[in-house]
Amino acid sequence: MEFKLEAHRIVSISLGKIYNSRGQRGGIKLHKNLLVSLVLRSARQVYLSDPCPGLYLAGSPVPPPQPGEPAAGPPAGWGEPPPPAARAAWPEPETPPGAPPARTAGRAVDAEPAAPGAGDTLQGGEAAATAEAEAAWRRAEIRARGGGRGRRGPRRRRGCAPRGPPRPAPPCACPPGGEAGPGALSCAPRPAKDERPVPPPGCPRKRGAAAGDGPADCPAPGSSPLKKPRRHPEEPAGGAAAEEEEMETGNVANLISIFGSSFSGLLRKSPAGGREEAEAEESGPEAAEPGQICCDQPVLRDINPWSTAIVAF
Amino acid sequence: MLLSLPALHLQTSEYHPLFQLPHGRLGPWCSPTGSPAPLSCETGCGEGSWILVCRLLVPTQVSLLSMEEDIDTRKINNSFLRDHSYATEADIISTVEFNHTGELLATGDKGGRVVIFQREQESKNQVHRRGEYNVYSTFQSHEPEFDYLKSLEIEEKINKIRWLPQQNAAYFLLSTNDKTVKLWKVSERDKRPEGYNLKDEEGRLRDPATITTLRVPVLRPMDLMVEATPRRVFANAHTYHINSISVNSDYETYMSADDLRINLWNFEITNQSFNIVDIKPANMEELTEVITAAEFHPHHCNTFVYSSSKGTIRLCDMRASALCDRHTKFFEEPEDPSNRSFFSEIISSISDVKFSHSGRYIMTRDYLTVKVWDLNMENRPIETYQVHDYLRSKLCSLYENDCIFDKFECVWNGSDSVIMTGSYNNFFRMFDRNTKRDVTLEASRENSKPRAILKPRKVCVGGKRRKDEISVDSLDFSKKILHTAWHPSENIIAVAATNNLYIFQDKVN
Repeated sequence: MEFKLEAHRIVSISLGKIYNSRGQRGGIKLHKNLLVSLVLRSARQVYLSDPCPGLYLAGSPVPPPQPGEPAAGPPAGWGEPPPPAARAAWPEPETPPGAPPARTAGRAVDAEPAAPGAGDTLQGGEAAATAEAEAAWRRAEIRARGGGRGRRGPRRRRGCAPRGPPRPAPPCACPPGGEAGPGALSCAPRPAKDERPVPPPGCPRKRGAAAGDGPADCPAPGSSPLKKPRRHPEEPAGGAAAEEEEMETGNVANLISIFGSSFSGLLRKSPAGGREEAEAEESGPEAAEPGQICCDQPVLRDINPWSTAIVAF
Repeated sequence: MLLSLPALHLQTSEYHPLFQLPHGRLGPWCSPTGSPAPLSCETGCGEGSWILVCRLLVPTQVSLLSMEEDIDTRKINNSFLRDHSYATEADIISTVEFNHTGELLATGDKGGRVVIFQREQESKNQVHRRGEYNVYSTFQSHEPEFDYLKSLEIEEKINKIRWLPQQNAAYFLLSTNDKTVKLWKVSERDKRPEGYNLKDEEGRLRDPATITTLRVPVLRPMDLMVEATPRRVFANAHTYHINSISVNSDYETYMSADDLRINLWNFEITNQSFNIVDIKPANMEELTEVITAAEFHPHHCNTFVYSSSKGTIRLCDMRASALCDRHTKFFEEPEDPSNRSFFSEIISSISDVKFSHSGRYIMTRDYLTVKVWDLNMENRPIETYQVHDYLRSKLCSLYENDCIFDKFECVWNGSDSVIMTGSYNNFFRMFDRNTKRDVTLEASRENSKPRAILKPRKVCVGGKRRKDEISVDSLDFSKKILHTAWHPSENIIAVAATNNLYIFQDKVN
């Protein structure tokens, strides 16, 4: 348990560092951010391999099964290099709702048809693996949104609507399959968006375009106005329910899942994996039905804010 | 295209980068109280004891900014490109390097300035003053720049200085910031021509009608003046931040290394370079390691090494292929699984690599240790020295305050028998490879009275703290010694502590 808290703390710190690095004088320091991302990966692995997952549940009695996850305790969990099973579990959930994860991912992307390549799309695997976390997440993200609103401000001014799917309507601890339409997928991406290394203030849009986020740059215009009304019904519900710690850990769980996609390169050591990723990267932005690709590809989707920063840099 | 900002921290015209201080006068780098502390040790110091020669201090530049700029420039500079706090940050020393004879010592700072010190010549009158270093030349090497295409500011901080061996009366050095390497020529001028026909003594043109006789200009002695001129600018070759430069033993080429690539230059050619190492993956997603330091072999002009953030060193031979992506030798020590933590990867990242003077060994510095490797043994180092192992339990806090990313350098002494590196709290450590003894010394104003012998320091790890010891928790992590240099042949060391430069000498009676 302590490892989980420690990992949680380290993840928060690491994300903060990556976020702050975008404003540094002299540009993003590749070496330092690479090291931070390595720490993030280690912490994430500990976090997810911890056998006491109850911490990030909010209101759900049954802990989500970590499919394929080794039963190793924390010391082994982070003491060894990432166990292959863990890696497999990450992208390939074996939870019963094999369809919902794909559907979830599909929905995530469908919600933003213009932004299939956005760094914010959840991978199918991740969505399933943190199904319950989403519930806590929705509450947690209110907190994050509160903090993140300021950060998103500048981008809104520039006329670029925040990317990512619109928020789900009612908070619910059920797996995502129970929710209607595109809204069901949590807005998990959003705080990640806030956290991710936004390109330097000079030309965010150009940077996004250059990095392959082009399609993501023009999300459905309707999504933006939708968000505001939705926020309100959620807040009271969120505030009432979970404890602060659960909220934050649920928040982090999804942040981890988002950033997890950033470090697929670090997880995978073989060059073959790299090829797959390259294909995913190319196909991602242009795919008509990204949901399908999520199904087929056992690998992590690679569009991610981190690579945006690196590539643009 | 690139905006060149005015030199904000030069004081007056007499500090113009091209025409420098007359030799011998104390410049901005000297202690505000006057002359540097003289070297003296009449009481017998045992071998291995170090005394302070002089401490050189950079005055803060805050007052200059407010005096010189008008309101508008100041606003722009302060808010966008230069924060007010950068005024003092500009004085932080970022690199220190002796030249090949040890006569000159160059320092670079965060403000893009290079200051060169020259050793005081031995004189009969003041025998005890030998060993002191005085300001010889100071010039603005790099200015802050702005890359409009990427909306990135390019820092003017000098990352590295490397001297060229002296081949004539002038001195040459390479200095680099994140993107551009410059070759500077530092030369003395002690004569000037007098008696021009078309110009009068002030330089004004004379009316030719008034000239009735012709005379031959003669060279007359003048006050020694040291001038620095940029002879070559090697720009636009690096996408990532340059972390190292190294002059080849053929004295015709040098290399510059950034996070992912190493380029080979010829000194005469500035518009092209050869890329000899490229570890950039096709997909940046797959990036797992970066280059952290690189150096040429001291004698073999075809051999160089580069270190990585994963704790590995690769030795490459340029004869093998044009692109040295495949190493000739690969040095890596297997990780100790019992020491595994979240931060294992960070602390194994090598921050500096140096060949020994003999060329037989390489020394690497990672966060907690210094290792000496034999070029003929790749699977593990032959020596490992713990610099500050007491920090191993504090890695999380050091990660939070960013200290874990500090890049310490390491140096050999002239005979390769002693190695030195810095630590926190203005401590620096020396390890004698033969006797296996080590010492911790402190470079600080309070504890270094002139003529005093440096007292060895000790960090208390746990339990009872003795009187002279300092506990780990009271270490000041903002005072770090990242840059040190050792005279090539004598036991004189230069230690940079933030904006102070300490010069110590081993006094052997």
